[in-house]
Amino acid sequence: MSGLEPRAFLPLPQAQFHVLVALTEGERHGYAIMRSVEESSSGVVRMGPATLYGTLKKLVDQGLAEELDHRPDPDDDQRRRYYRMTGLGQQVCAAEADRLSRLVRTTRANLRPGIA
Amino acid sequence: MTTPPRHGVYRAFINLYPPTFRRHYREDLVQHFDDLIVDRGMRSACLRTALDLVITVPNYRLERIVSQQHSATTLVVIISLVAAAGVISLLTGVYSGLALLGAATVLALAQRNALAKALRTPVAGLRRRRLRISAALAVVFVFCAGIYAMVIGDTWTLRETVLAGVGTVAMISAPVFLVVGLLTPKADPHLVG
Repeated sequence: MSGLEPRAFLPLPQAQFHVLVALTEGERHGYAIMRSVEESSSGVVRMGPATLYGTLKKLVDQGLAEELDHRPDPDDDQRRRYYRMTGLGQQVCAAEADRLSRLVRTTRANLRPGIA
Repeated sequence: MTTPPRHGVYRAFINLYPPTFRRHYREDLVQHFDDLIVDRGMRSACLRTALDLVITVPNYRLERIVSQQHSATTLVVIISLVAAAGVISLLTGVYSGLALLGAATVLALAQRNALAKALRTPVAGLRRRRLRISAALAVVFVFCAGIYAMVIGDTWTLRETVLAGVGTVAMISAPVFLVVGLLTPKADPHLVG
């Protein structure tokens, strides 16, 4: 997977990008990722359980995220599974952020040429 | 520890998801549902989860249907059925069955890349599953052939037609699944299929 070009993954589906952004904060379990996605999107993006785990499965299958073997918080519920971003996931997340940033700049320039 | 009824209902709904997904994430989904109830309340948790089920069950089912491995298996079954129909036609003196054999050959050649790619991809348990299907089909063929030999008489009835039909399909499919199974690489036991 490490030989893959990050740009080959772009554009990332919205749900996958939101989950990767949540994982930029560090190792997280599923419910913490959902809460982080809600907070970062000001409550606009609300993921149901299967949407979240389906998205995580796709990220893991593509090598952008991985399950942790260890538990960061030993006092936490034993059933919880933790995830973190891989190196490739970080590159893809950064590339998608750059792409969206360029898109936002273009949009602002076209809509408000006096301000941009 | 007893399972709350709400979990029982949600667990039942989780069975609607494709097997690989529900096997891997069942406990995570239940845990997530539990967290939602504690965090947002029963009404909000049930509403969100119900909407999630309505959207994701058909979505994930469809994804599985169009996935490479599943499509390859479907293709093998279709090619076998068309070839079997061709053989049955020829055996019963309908020589237009040659067209069906030709169609099966063309289909196999046209989809050879997809079939070869699916065959080369190691998936946990797939090799064993294909070999088991082959063995089961061989048993069906032997059973049909044995019954056919015992009951065949001067008149051709529906019973002989069914036995010949099922037996021919099994006769063609068994070696196809055997070859496909033998060509399927053994998967890394740590990989999730």
